[in-house]
Amino acid sequence: MKITRIILSFISAVVILFSTSVTSFAKVVGDKIVLGAAISLTGKYSSNGVHTQNGYNMAVDRINSMGGVKVGGKTYKFEIIYYDDESNPKRAAQLAERLISQDGVEFMLGPYSSGLTKAIAPVTEKYGVPMVEANGASRSLFTKGYKYLFAVLAPANLYLDVAIDLAVEKNNGKPVTVAMAFEQDAFSQDVRLGVLDAIKRTGSKKVIDDKLPKELNDMAATLVKVKQMKPDVLVVSGHTKGALTAIRQIAEMKVDVPMLAMTHCDAAKLSKQHGKNSQYALCASQWHKTLTYKDNFFKDGMKYAADFEKEFGYDPPYQSAESSAALLVFKDAFERANSFDQKKVRDALAATNMQTFYGNIKFAEGGQNVDKPMVLFQVMCDGSGKCENKVVAPTKWASAKLIHPIPKWSER
Amino acid sequence: MSKNILLYSAILIFGLVAPFVFPAFKVQLSILCVLIVLATTWNIQGGEMGYNTFGNILFYGLGMYLCASVQVGMFFPLAEWTESGGEKTFVHTPAQFFQGMAVGLVVAAVVPTIVAGLIGYAILGLRGHYFAICTLGLGVAAGEISGGIEIIGAGQGFTTPPFPEVGGLEARGEFFYFLSFGALILTFVAVRAIYSTRFRLILNAIRDNEDKAEAMGIETMKYKIIGWMVSAFFCGLAGGIMGGLVGYIDSTDVAFDGREMGVFMVLMAILGGKGTLWGPVIGATVFHIFKEGFWTFFLGWQYVALGVLIVVIVIYFPEGIMGWLREKYPEKFGEVIDEKDRKAQVELK
Repeated sequence: MKITRIILSFISAVVILFSTSVTSFAKVVGDKIVLGAAISLTGKYSSNGVHTQNGYNMAVDRINSMGGVKVGGKTYKFEIIYYDDESNPKRAAQLAERLISQDGVEFMLGPYSSGLTKAIAPVTEKYGVPMVEANGASRSLFTKGYKYLFAVLAPANLYLDVAIDLAVEKNNGKPVTVAMAFEQDAFSQDVRLGVLDAIKRTGSKKVIDDKLPKELNDMAATLVKVKQMKPDVLVVSGHTKGALTAIRQIAEMKVDVPMLAMTHCDAAKLSKQHGKNSQYALCASQWHKTLTYKDNFFKDGMKYAADFEKEFGYDPPYQSAESSAALLVFKDAFERANSFDQKKVRDALAATNMQTFYGNIKFAEGGQNVDKPMVLFQVMCDGSGKCENKVVAPTKWASAKLIHPIPKWSER
Repeated sequence: MSKNILLYSAILIFGLVAPFVFPAFKVQLSILCVLIVLATTWNIQGGEMGYNTFGNILFYGLGMYLCASVQVGMFFPLAEWTESGGEKTFVHTPAQFFQGMAVGLVVAAVVPTIVAGLIGYAILGLRGHYFAICTLGLGVAAGEISGGIEIIGAGQGFTTPPFPEVGGLEARGEFFYFLSFGALILTFVAVRAIYSTRFRLILNAIRDNEDKAEAMGIETMKYKIIGWMVSAFFCGLAGGIMGGLVGYIDSTDVAFDGREMGVFMVLMAILGGKGTLWGPVIGATVFHIFKEGFWTFFLGWQYVALGVLIVVIVIYFPEGIMGWLREKYPEKFGEVIDEKDRKAQVELK
């Protein structure tokens, strides 16, 4: 058969293609420290992926322009190789492998979302590549015994349990009824577990416990139930899409609920996009610009927010802030390790104890940041319809008083 | 015949040395093997039998979950493994890992085969678009259902057992590469053997005219089901391997990934040329290389580039690469052209 020859020549073509396409960047080229990152530029997490990337880029520019990283008496600059993981864990795992084994990256930054971090962590762990991640909050990430994973954020189960406590407090310490709707993904399910713990602790009762699909754009079924059951608190978590869908449909269906607690309000730019409809929503956040943490690079939250707005044209959500913080952590660790040896950098990371504009950072055994509490803010609007996020809990950081219960739609 | 042997041994040798010659590409090569398996098995329905199925992803995902569950469940309580925030850390010893994987892969291949038999019995009576839509629903439903089952991690996902610490950094990549390469050879040899029997002719008869085939006394239902079971066996196997390779199973994004894998397997078979033995192999290889290339050089535009590729395939190579070659060089496919007859036909036009 002559076809044999065609196939043989095809195979040799493949061989040639493979062998010529091997390009290798070393981890440190000249005066550059090359970090690798798989980011969701497309797919369901694309908006948060961009927030993450902007946060990384902002910090890279800032650190580089302010003298870079000093290791062994020499100054280095950060550079990041990005790939698009399409919000797909399978892709993310492949890209991590590729960054490490093909591009020769020896230090990684995290992707966006817990699911993708879960997919990447086994790879970085296997190669002993230190990864500082800023967007994987799922608790199960920190119980796998990973040694090279460091998260600058508080774990997901701490996101909304405070809201339940707050509701109980407002109810004069009596238990409340809770309606829950959570997306079926690693992060939101962990938030759910945190809420369940809080419900148990306070003796409250869950009346609705719905799962939302990943391609989230309708939760009317849940809201109809909420209208019927009249719970004291409605808790929703489903990344940006979850927040947008909830606000849109609650306003459309005029659902009255005394407390609405969510995640990702600032990433979804709720106060800007939905204005008055988003009023009174209570949101869990890793960071808020009014917090008074400080560092040498970004000064404080207000300055960071102003600089970020100037560069990217929008108010930074906490996803960007925590991503920027990841680079500050890396810089600090490199300088303390005074070496590019992965083990030494890992040990330096583990010993991190610093303050950034984003918050205090100190890692526990499992890699999670234990030195930074979550905050809750509430969307508040003034008479002219201009809305803003104001921190209402914990009391230490509060810049406004919680409005509770949420006024009925008929009275707004 | 000797040329055939030459070809096969060339591929075999390439396959055996590839991970050592291109150590950085081990993962891509492993995935390529899995893609070829999926395309080849899809071709049994879509190409040979004329039943366009989007449901093979069901067996792939099923195999993935089964393999991982068995691998964990044999040694540890599965529910505690998948529970989020569980405080215990379980570690497989090397022996446990490999034993679990071996048993897991067997289960991952056998159970989907049985499932295919049962589902096939129920839905293979549907034809054409109805069958395609029905199978599309199967994959979507499986994704949603598995996303609600707590014991396999539900929406949290399922982290498969990490590779044990044996044999250094490259061991994991090499292990999974040879596993998937082995699965590829097994699939290819089995499918090739099946195609050399009357079975292939029956499938083709079903494709060309099912009613006539039935009128000829062929029990079409029986053969359709068997064909699907064969596909399911290898899809399940491929899924089991892929689960271990990725290391993290998510219900809709990794296991029942109809939007990507489910479509890709169809695309690869069509690109290579459906209804041929080599078509899916070539199609999967070309597709994978293009895809990886696009993902590297057209970051942000990769899907646009992929879309253009699909349009080009449909317009210029509707019969796939093999079909195109066959038309260009029919004599190389053992087709003899009668010059006289050809001229006569040209004159007629």
